[in-house]
Amino acid sequence: MAVKKLQNFINGEWVDASTDTFVKIINPARGNLLCEAPMSTKADVDAAVKAAQDAYPDWRNTPPVARARYLHRLIELMEDNFNELSIVQTTEHGKTIDESRGETRRGIEMMEVASGIPSLMQGYNLEDIAHGIDEYAINQPLGVFCCIAPFNFPFMVPLWFLPFAIACGNTFVVKSSPRTPMSQVELFKLLEEVDLPPGVVNLVNGANASAEALMDHPQVKGVTFVGSTPVGRYIYKKCGETGKRVIVQAGAKNYVVIMPDAVLEEATMVSLLASFFGNAGQRCLSGANLLVVGDDAAYKRFVDRFVEGAANIRVGDGLDESVQMGPVQNAESKQRIIGVIEKGVAEGAKLTLDGRNLNLVGDVPETCFLNPSIFENVTPEMSLAREEIFGPVASVVRAKDLDEAIGIIHDNPYGNASSIFTNNGKWSRQFQHDVNAGNIGINVGIVAPMSFFPFGGRKDSFFGTLHGQGRDVVRFFTDPKIVITRWF
Amino acid sequence: MKLNTMAGVMSFVSEIENDSSLFYKTYAEKYPELESVFLSWNKENNKFEKNIKRTYFGVITDTLESNYAFQGLDTDDYDVDMKLPVDVDASEAIKKACEIEETIGNFYLKAAQLSEGHLADIPRLFRKIAKKREERCQSLGEL
Repeated sequence: MAVKKLQNFINGEWVDASTDTFVKIINPARGNLLCEAPMSTKADVDAAVKAAQDAYPDWRNTPPVARARYLHRLIELMEDNFNELSIVQTTEHGKTIDESRGETRRGIEMMEVASGIPSLMQGYNLEDIAHGIDEYAINQPLGVFCCIAPFNFPFMVPLWFLPFAIACGNTFVVKSSPRTPMSQVELFKLLEEVDLPPGVVNLVNGANASAEALMDHPQVKGVTFVGSTPVGRYIYKKCGETGKRVIVQAGAKNYVVIMPDAVLEEATMVSLLASFFGNAGQRCLSGANLLVVGDDAAYKRFVDRFVEGAANIRVGDGLDESVQMGPVQNAESKQRIIGVIEKGVAEGAKLTLDGRNLNLVGDVPETCFLNPSIFENVTPEMSLAREEIFGPVASVVRAKDLDEAIGIIHDNPYGNASSIFTNNGKWSRQFQHDVNAGNIGINVGIVAPMSFFPFGGRKDSFFGTLHGQGRDVVRFFTDPKIVITRWF
Repeated sequence: MKLNTMAGVMSFVSEIENDSSLFYKTYAEKYPELESVFLSWNKENNKFEKNIKRTYFGVITDTLESNYAFQGLDTDDYDVDMKLPVDVDASEAIKKACEIEETIGNFYLKAAQLSEGHLADIPRLFRKIAKKREERCQSLGEL
């Protein structure tokens, strides 16, 4: 049987990319070939941007309320296809079906917020800035924007941007992840059904060359990116050179602080396991370093339970409903993570739980699977504690008190998220006030901001000024035009 | 079978609600004196399943701890034979219905207890349905 080759969606039509280079998309849990994705060329990107640019004048003149109605229709279609969309995510990425359903819901929530654009993009005014003179600010769209999408949330992340961008009157190009492009193809099938004017949304499947072409293109006004810090830093610099607006949400190394008074109920453990091992650790909000404050007895009581919980996580094909953690996304990721584990051992950390010893549910190939790993005796200077692993590996670090814990967090180059588990209000307040991270959790393991709040991030976890989601992203996709009027 | 994940719990909910719904439909036809009660519960069970699914799909987000919230839930603890021997009278059907309601109610209570604080509206809905189940047991006693 011929392998399905994905197409691009440009100017309202599915078209073949102008390339002979295709990447095989493999189901990481089962090893079967799902399809092949084209590595689109500059010519493909040019065609997509041209379509978006051509569509822009009419689209920006479409009333915001009418633009929002397209989103309402898309929400309906997404609800109707909720499970199918989720299954595709699990199949191409490996995450569990519950995690994919959660991702689908998040995507829909973005649409819901963006569909409030008639309120969200309103400007403001002031009468009589001088006698008889009024001033007002009108938020206007800018043109063509794009998203360079990551592999780890292939469905949701483009929706942090696309619905807001088009609701504001811009047009949009998504460059899908070359590792997980199918979720975006499914989304664009629904966008096709919504029957947006041709060119308002466009999809280009590709890798670096397509991303470069988007960043170089003079008609692209802004770029949104979610991915690693080194690539993010490059994109931020490049977009600065080409004069584009940019949101770069980058890597992370999130600390979760356990204070001695933390409630060690099952609920806490569940929250921590989900934080460290949800999505197989492949998320920028994952807990990475568990920073335990307190004496040896408190430490042991807590860590023993954490290790036991992690050891019992059922790992296998995410479509199996008894599975709690899927594979990592590809074989290269697995090998990279194994390398990190080996380095951790070489640095002197104690590998208390070794996820290389596989214990898998069902008859699945081992190629992309790892069980959870936990290191103890990790010091803040070790690479285990400093470098993003993006896999199911937890490092346990110790601190004598909260001040030392906050100091350790601040010495880390990243500032995406940090959490504290405690019942002490004073400690909580100090933590939220002092910790230099974009998202703070108090007794919450995964600090994922809802669609109506901006997605925070600081230090090496974020490059830009305005963040994705919420009102921030509406400001990103619009520019205030100031009008001052006087009538004689 | 152990239930670990919300997805697994949802599938089990569908199974028990569909099976119990079928029980009421089947025996409503067989015992005319139970028809109105059993048929209303047949419909209500379908509604329970729909409500739970709607809530699940409505509140699930990528931050919910849905993969880890059900440690200790085992379908074997809620296994109830939903068939009656051929030649039994209505009182046996009432007894069996009571057993079913009690078992399903216990399942919802346990699932609610385990997922408290994690799954938004879902534990609340589980409790609500468990209460309805308890009320059913009481009305069965009055039949």
